[in-house]
Amino acid sequence: MTNDVSISYLIFLMPLLTFVVNGLFLGKRSAKGAATFAILCNGVAFAAALFLAVGYFTSGFAPQKAVAFEMPFLKFAEGFVANIGLLVDPLSIMMLVVVTFIAFMVNIYSVGYMRGDRAEGRFFALLSLFSFSMLGLVAATNLFQMFIFWELVGVSSYLLIGFWYHKPSAVSASKQAFILTRFADSFFLLGIVLVSYVAQSFDFFNLNGLTLGAFADQTINLGVMEVSKATALTIGAVLIFTGGWGKSAMFPMHIWLPNAMEGPTPVSSIIHSATMVVAGVYLVARLFPFFAICGNTLTLIMWVGAFTMVFAAVIACTQKDIKRILAYSTLSQLGYMMFALGTCKIGDAVFTTGWTASTFHIFTHAFFKCSLFLIAGSLIHQVHTNDLDAMGGLRKKMPITYVCALISVLAISGIPPFSGFFSKDEIILSAFQGHHYAVFGLAVLTSGLTTFYMFRLFFLAFHGKPRSESVAAGHVHEDFAMTLPIAILAVPALLSGLLAGGLFEHYFVPGKLMVPQLLQLQEAHWIPYVAVGVAVVSLLIAWVLYASPKANINRALDDVNRSSIYKTIYHKFYFDEMYYCVVRQFVIGGIAKVARFIQDYIVEGIVAFVVWFFHALGRLVRTAQSGHLTFYLGTLIVGVILWRFIGHLPF
Amino acid sequence: MYSISNQLIPDLILLALPFLILIVRLCSKRTTVMPWRIANLGLIATFVMLNMIPLTNSEGAFFLSNWRVDDFGVLMREVFVLSGILGLWLAKDYFDHGADGKPALMHITEFMATLIFATFGGFIVVSACDMLTLFLGLEMATIPMYALTAWNKRDQYGSEAATKYILMGSVATAFELFGFSYLYGFAGSIHFSQIASATSAGTSPLLWIALLFIFCGIGFKLTLFPFYTWAPDVYEGAPTPVTAVLSVTSKATAIAFLVVLLYGPLAPVQDKIVPLVALLACTTLFVGNLGALKQSRLRRFMAYSSIAQAGYIMIALLGPGYISKTAIVYYLFVYTVANYLAFFVFGVIGHYRPESFNSLRGLSKQNTLLAVALAAAMFSLAGIPPLAGFFGKFHLFFSGATAGHYMVVAFAVLNNVLALYYYLQVIKSAWADEPEGELSPIRMVKRQRFVVIALLAATILLGVLPFVSNNVFTGFTF
Repeated sequence: MTNDVSISYLIFLMPLLTFVVNGLFLGKRSAKGAATFAILCNGVAFAAALFLAVGYFTSGFAPQKAVAFEMPFLKFAEGFVANIGLLVDPLSIMMLVVVTFIAFMVNIYSVGYMRGDRAEGRFFALLSLFSFSMLGLVAATNLFQMFIFWELVGVSSYLLIGFWYHKPSAVSASKQAFILTRFADSFFLLGIVLVSYVAQSFDFFNLNGLTLGAFADQTINLGVMEVSKATALTIGAVLIFTGGWGKSAMFPMHIWLPNAMEGPTPVSSIIHSATMVVAGVYLVARLFPFFAICGNTLTLIMWVGAFTMVFAAVIACTQKDIKRILAYSTLSQLGYMMFALGTCKIGDAVFTTGWTASTFHIFTHAFFKCSLFLIAGSLIHQVHTNDLDAMGGLRKKMPITYVCALISVLAISGIPPFSGFFSKDEIILSAFQGHHYAVFGLAVLTSGLTTFYMFRLFFLAFHGKPRSESVAAGHVHEDFAMTLPIAILAVPALLSGLLAGGLFEHYFVPGKLMVPQLLQLQEAHWIPYVAVGVAVVSLLIAWVLYASPKANINRALDDVNRSSIYKTIYHKFYFDEMYYCVVRQFVIGGIAKVARFIQDYIVEGIVAFVVWFFHALGRLVRTAQSGHLTFYLGTLIVGVILWRFIGHLPF
Repeated sequence: MYSISNQLIPDLILLALPFLILIVRLCSKRTTVMPWRIANLGLIATFVMLNMIPLTNSEGAFFLSNWRVDDFGVLMREVFVLSGILGLWLAKDYFDHGADGKPALMHITEFMATLIFATFGGFIVVSACDMLTLFLGLEMATIPMYALTAWNKRDQYGSEAATKYILMGSVATAFELFGFSYLYGFAGSIHFSQIASATSAGTSPLLWIALLFIFCGIGFKLTLFPFYTWAPDVYEGAPTPVTAVLSVTSKATAIAFLVVLLYGPLAPVQDKIVPLVALLACTTLFVGNLGALKQSRLRRFMAYSSIAQAGYIMIALLGPGYISKTAIVYYLFVYTVANYLAFFVFGVIGHYRPESFNSLRGLSKQNTLLAVALAAAMFSLAGIPPLAGFFGKFHLFFSGATAGHYMVVAFAVLNNVLALYYYLQVIKSAWADEPEGELSPIRMVKRQRFVVIALLAATILLGVLPFVSNNVFTGFTF
């Protein structure tokens, strides 16, 4: 076992090296050199991760946990030390492979995408900084280490969203993303302080082995009330989850993710779909036994996930910006992963279908979603717009991309035998097994919506007649550096479900996870048929609306009739308008309007109010600072009186 | 008689240093650089000697019955001396040419002597065993600051700032003395050990009145709410190096004063003072954060930032002594490094342009080192891991949480989000904003380049390898 692990340091060293070398030396001198170096190093990192994974899974040691190396990092007291280490278990190995693979692909892709950018070298440096931080996060052996890297991925995400800092929208999006996730992280930090103080440990292994019984009799003063330590742990668990809530962009903290699409597309593909945003899901999966014992935390997780899943899917149906559709789709898929983890509790007993399914979905989703983003980037690079209005007819011009897109879209729609089918099917099954029938219904419905909006995107982009001049004039071609990773990614998007399913069933199974009162449940064999049925129906609807020979693309894309009630009534009188009317105006227009309303007015309204509120208070403070000495001297007197009466001094 | 223990050597060096450089200055030509060299040598020697004192983990050694040298004192001395050295280095250039639209400073020898006296005031505070020494130390740390604020005699804003500072400072000192007199009335002694036994025997309103006034007095020096009002004006009016020293040495002295009192003579009633400390901490950091939101002048911005930082430091005082002292010492080191890093960057820029946010525009293209250093300083002050500031803040919060003040910690942690907002503004100015028109070139002298690189490395390394500062943590259990 240790032999295999000895090369594992390469996984971390390589991206770090790339960051340092490209950031300090190579980046400014030679963009080509920086790119080559980045690809090389990330390739080595991927090879090392793969080597580690193969060694681990074939050693027979497998689903046990091992700590490859660990060193004390920060000592709080004797026996209460935060370490930095590398945790080896199926979950972390799986993530290491995924992250290094995606990083490798995206680095290759960026050669094409960022060609000629004025700061190409900096881009490759930052990208490697991100992969390093992400790897540190997934390999964390304890909460403290995770938090450090958690913030570091936040920083690299901030730097990369705002990479094109000459665009004001990019700068404001990067700031919003950073501050919002940081807001959630402050709860995470608080949770860490609370939990580690009660449990006297940061270590995942210790936390996952806790039983609340030992803490039920002791009490702890939380400042506002006296609670038992068991309750304190539950509060801590919710606080920790809040960190994941923000990072994985669950409703209502999701607003930063669509805006983060202002960054370069390779960044969106690696950070905002495949890896960083699943950090929240990963956190819950990592601490799953801990969350499982902490009261109803899992139920909260389930509803947060389920709501985000439906909400984002509905909004995705109405978007026309290709990257935003994918962003909302990512949100929706993250919702799937999150709620799957939350379903795993019936009473006090725990089953692990959802855990297996969720980690499986992290795995498959990384490939097809990354691929979809890269494809979107390819299209944007050729057509020079994000707008679906200006695409169409790209099938003939970009045949490889077209085939790969089809594979990925089928994968995300959950059509067998593509990868998404296997994981999504299991997620839906876990909702059913946990007797959460409402969530089960929502999941099936969302599965249909997913198919619909993905095929809408697919048909509008690739089928029909070209709607932009550059496509019609034939200026569009496939770029080798960009198409290669897309083609490579299509392979796992197609096969990872089929091939890796066994791996997950073997190593990510009940019994290998430390949870109390494990349940073994029957599978429901009819579920795949239902899920696939819904998907196929939605596919057909999308085809009729957007790709069939009779489809009226202009009407489907017409913005005006979406917003005007007058026209709604007007068009009702025509029979052939009925179809659009029902589907577009009622289903999409109606429900989506509600979703959009919540998004635009309630969530963003609250955010705007908070910003205004603090600025108003800030103005107050600055106004008080008038420069008049008499006023200043007065504050001294007022201060004494103030603290005399509200300072809680006992006299 | 007394044999001079090696624990006293740093104190003696520092005490002799200002007299020495003044005498050298008197005996030599106007243009001499000897005092500058001697001052540097002396301060560095003090720092080195301090580092050679072993941390003993004990009550500390007493000299002349009321001069105590303990672990906390030694580490705080290191903070003071470090701040003094950096302050001098920052100030040097301001004597060569003017900056931020103000004329050059004059009389460098006297400036250095005054600064060293202020540093020695900090030494006295952490060595005090009775109220009189404590008071003397505090005054000795403060009065030179009044002079330093007005050092630029040709700058009317400096004079205005110093006037405000000294007037308000006098009132605060009066508060403090008033508090001390009541404390004496309560305990019947000015010696800490007697006060401690009196407070543990029982309390009376006399004690609380004394405490109220002592807190209000020190609240002025530590820029606590609502006694902070002088800070933005004085920070803006004073010469930049003085602002830097004010925000570090002055603040460190004041917090050391509170630590000495709270975990010394007042330890028996510490749990009753805690609500007041919590309120002071919360209001201060909130107001500091709000004030910093939209500033255009860098020094004013740093004033609010340092007000907020004072609030964060106060949180550590909620916890038990051994954690609290560790947290405060570590945080002060980190804060010193990050704050001086920011001031050095501002200083370099200030030599060519006004010290405002607009002057930072285009910095990343013009001088990447400075832009990176500024970003590191801001991220560290905002407490983003893995930079040093995060670990410092974590210790502060942990100290508060250990005593169960989760609401206070929660409030502070959430406020960090607000803080992040304005620290990002600085980074945005330096990295994202396009410059208006042609930029005048920026040059750094060797000393500036060295300090910026060293502080940048410290900001990053203290965070990435926090165990290098393990000596702060080990052997530090009081």
